[in-house]
Amino acid sequence: MKRTVVPMGPQHPVLPEPIVLDLVLEDEKVVDAIPTIGYIHRGLEMMVERVEFTEFGYVVERICGICSFMHGMGYAVAMEKIMAVEVPERASWLRLIWAEMSRIHSHLLWLGLGADAFGFENLFMHCWRTREEVLDIFEKTTGGRIIFSVNRIGGVRRDISDSELVAIVEKLQQLGAGFAETARIFETDPSIRHRLGGVGILTREDAHAVDAVGPMARASGIPLDTRLTGTYLYDHLDFEPVLETAGDCLARVVVRVREISQSIDLIRQAVQRMPKGEGAPIETKVRGLPTGETFERLEQPRGEVIYYIKANGTKYLERFRARTPTFANIPAMIKLVKGCDLADVPNIIMTIDPCISCTER
Amino acid sequence: MDRKAFLGRVGEYQKDGWRLAIINATSILPTEAMEHGAFDVSWSFAKDGAFEHLREQILPGEEVPSISGLFGAAFLYENEMRELFGVNVTGIALDLKGQLYKTATIVPFAPSAIRARLEAMGKKA
Repeated sequence: MKRTVVPMGPQHPVLPEPIVLDLVLEDEKVVDAIPTIGYIHRGLEMMVERVEFTEFGYVVERICGICSFMHGMGYAVAMEKIMAVEVPERASWLRLIWAEMSRIHSHLLWLGLGADAFGFENLFMHCWRTREEVLDIFEKTTGGRIIFSVNRIGGVRRDISDSELVAIVEKLQQLGAGFAETARIFETDPSIRHRLGGVGILTREDAHAVDAVGPMARASGIPLDTRLTGTYLYDHLDFEPVLETAGDCLARVVVRVREISQSIDLIRQAVQRMPKGEGAPIETKVRGLPTGETFERLEQPRGEVIYYIKANGTKYLERFRARTPTFANIPAMIKLVKGCDLADVPNIIMTIDPCISCTER
Repeated sequence: MDRKAFLGRVGEYQKDGWRLAIINATSILPTEAMEHGAFDVSWSFAKDGAFEHLREQILPGEEVPSISGLFGAAFLYENEMRELFGVNVTGIALDLKGQLYKTATIVPFAPSAIRARLEAMGKKA
């Protein structure tokens, strides 16, 4: 059969950021897909040559406007490991709370974009309206809505009062109750089920074979979640990853919908279990220059992120590397696109929750 | 590097159910002992909570076998490593032939390129 190559991207109505897939078609079936990225490659990793390690956290946060808090946190945690800095417990709890809030707003952002991609604009508006409320909390507690600059090596810059933490939990629980109807629509609406159910199936075996991470893996029944490794105080909380087994586009939506409720509950648990006491230290003074190397893993909203840092005893790091979850999920996306109908490609791409800014750094 | 031994060790990780977590390269700047510098390359594998690495020091031009036949996702890391560092990875299952990134500097993390930038900034290379 004659083959046709249809370039999808870098500009496309469902793509929030530029990526190209050269789709090789036989009639309406995709038989191959070749990715090209690099349209927003900024070479941030190269900036370690010019930016001192104390300032580089600000650069790392700017890898992406959605994952900014967790990038800043990952950098700080990795540097603390290299420099053997003990972080005050309250600072670690505050990081966990902001990290889970990041997951909530990231998933809401994506659910809105996903709804827009499959033609449910009303749902898009509800998701983004809800997300604004999370950003309001970020603004109140960090001073920023996108870039927070609240992490620093040794702890965090700002505390949240105990009364404010209780108010945040109440606010998030109200938000969760309000979101329940939107969640119900995502999970049960016939038109969504028809559009996404059975489309872009990544089996458990395939998910393992292509090393999928995050909600991509969990929607295929793999309990892969860095929070399970017991780091960052998650071992103090009741936590089980949200799993689905269908592995289709709908399962990836459902995992993210349920993770919103789960993150609200994790924040509730964190506020209950963290030691009370405003005025407790939130930062350890860091002295000296870093020497050594480390790999650090975090569970970002899109899945596992890995930072590699190598320091040589000077003000400038020798190497900074971020392997982001979207980078890890591109092979899964290519696997899914092969064999699908052309009309399903946009939804399949959307359900990996691609963050190209993170991927290209 | 001992190609056969390396692929054998990667194959063991694959058989034992590990997943490829990251392939990472770091440039080692030229010294008197290593005129053209080198690359410190690590292949990291994860399984449950465990995280292990294979590491090799690679000289510029030295052939590094692709592991994309064992771990399908490796092709992306390997294309990146070749484009950004100039590591000579061969046999990549999906060879993007230098089209993955669009960088203004050709092979920006090659040891010689880093040294040239540092010297231009007046830093000790």
